[in-house]
Amino acid sequence: MNYAEWPLSAPVNLTWEVTHRCNLRCVHCLSASQDEMADELGLAESRAIVDQLAGMGVFEINFGGGEPLLKGHFLPLLDYIHGKGIVTCISTNGTVLNNEAIARFTGNPLVHVQISLDGATPEVNDRLRGEGTYRRILKGLERLAGRGISLSINTVVTALNFDQLDELEALAASYGARLRVSRFRPSGRAKASWDKLRLSAAQLEVLSDWLGERPGVLTGDSFFSISGEGRRGLGLDMCGAGRLTCCLDPIGSVYPCAFLQEDEFCAGDLRKATFREIWESSPVFLKFRRLEPASCRTCPRFDFCRGGCPAVARFVRKDIGSPDPECLKAVAGGHGRRSGVNDAIIGGG
Amino acid sequence: MKRVYRLAGDVQVRKESWGLLFYSRDRHRLFFVRSGGWLYPHHFDGRWDTASLISDIAGRTGSPAGVVEKSILNLAGNLVENGVITHELC
Repeated sequence: MNYAEWPLSAPVNLTWEVTHRCNLRCVHCLSASQDEMADELGLAESRAIVDQLAGMGVFEINFGGGEPLLKGHFLPLLDYIHGKGIVTCISTNGTVLNNEAIARFTGNPLVHVQISLDGATPEVNDRLRGEGTYRRILKGLERLAGRGISLSINTVVTALNFDQLDELEALAASYGARLRVSRFRPSGRAKASWDKLRLSAAQLEVLSDWLGERPGVLTGDSFFSISGEGRRGLGLDMCGAGRLTCCLDPIGSVYPCAFLQEDEFCAGDLRKATFREIWESSPVFLKFRRLEPASCRTCPRFDFCRGGCPAVARFVRKDIGSPDPECLKAVAGGHGRRSGVNDAIIGGG
Repeated sequence: MKRVYRLAGDVQVRKESWGLLFYSRDRHRLFFVRSGGWLYPHHFDGRWDTASLISDIAGRTGSPAGVVEKSILNLAGNLVENGVITHELC
């Protein structure tokens, strides 16, 4: 898809980090969450933002953070969003679920719940998410399973858990959930562990094949295509930052994506401008919509990936406009085939 | 018998400059329809039968009704097949 030919009047979905407060200290946390930020948005401000998003036709809001369930007004905010007909995907560590939250999720067609679990065994998961978390996360899954809640386990694929994907898929199925595999990216605390935890070229190739055989496993954008159809060929999917999606941080700053929450990529402040103004006019977004690594243009997969993930490129190559360092064609000499169906799949959260 | 079109239960739609963007909640899937100014979201609210839809488009755009009919029936068939909309006889 060429985004220049299909510009969107609003994002399809938006990642909203409602707080940076978190009870866990995962070594690969994309936003280095720990404590609440000073002056995080209140409920009234948040509702006003929802009004703007609803008015523009945003379909879906993906909550992350920080642990969203630790935000005091999260459930009332969720109610307000659902009242507007907007779909929500709640990414939670699963350790602070309470009865009120579970009641909100139960049987609600506008809710998807995504539980983060980074290993099929305590030995692996707890090295990434903290001692004792495996057991607590599974307890959370047990509380959510069988209630008519759209449920998935989200695993950030690293060198540590790479060998456990089959077990994680089976574990998810045992709770009536699907497995989503997310890309490990060097942002937040993950910058420090990037070299140790990132996948090797050989592992990326194996992962590509593994996903190709499992259309039921979900992924996200600028990773392997979320759809089985899209996975018929070797390669990454395209990035939707600033085009299909964007990120809102706890104090109202807007970024192209959750993995680039740094000052130079701040597209605007919702306390000073409307969302529409930022989406339509921010120089940051305009720049992201034009991002196309020149060296990729002759690649047969260019129309499918458009250069891949700018966040990884920026960290590894110090240039958001350079090709994705984990491009399979580059690391493995693949041929990159994929059908050209005229639809797209969104990978939220 | 008239045929009316309606969004599938898990689908939402919005107007874009190039046409319509459909979003499937359950499948997390998007459908891009390059329909320009022919179609609007309200055409899928279940109150437009095929004849009134074709008449509306032809009247607003000046396109021949036969051309509109062929295009709309093709498109609607595709969207029905993909579970984006449903058609109902009334």
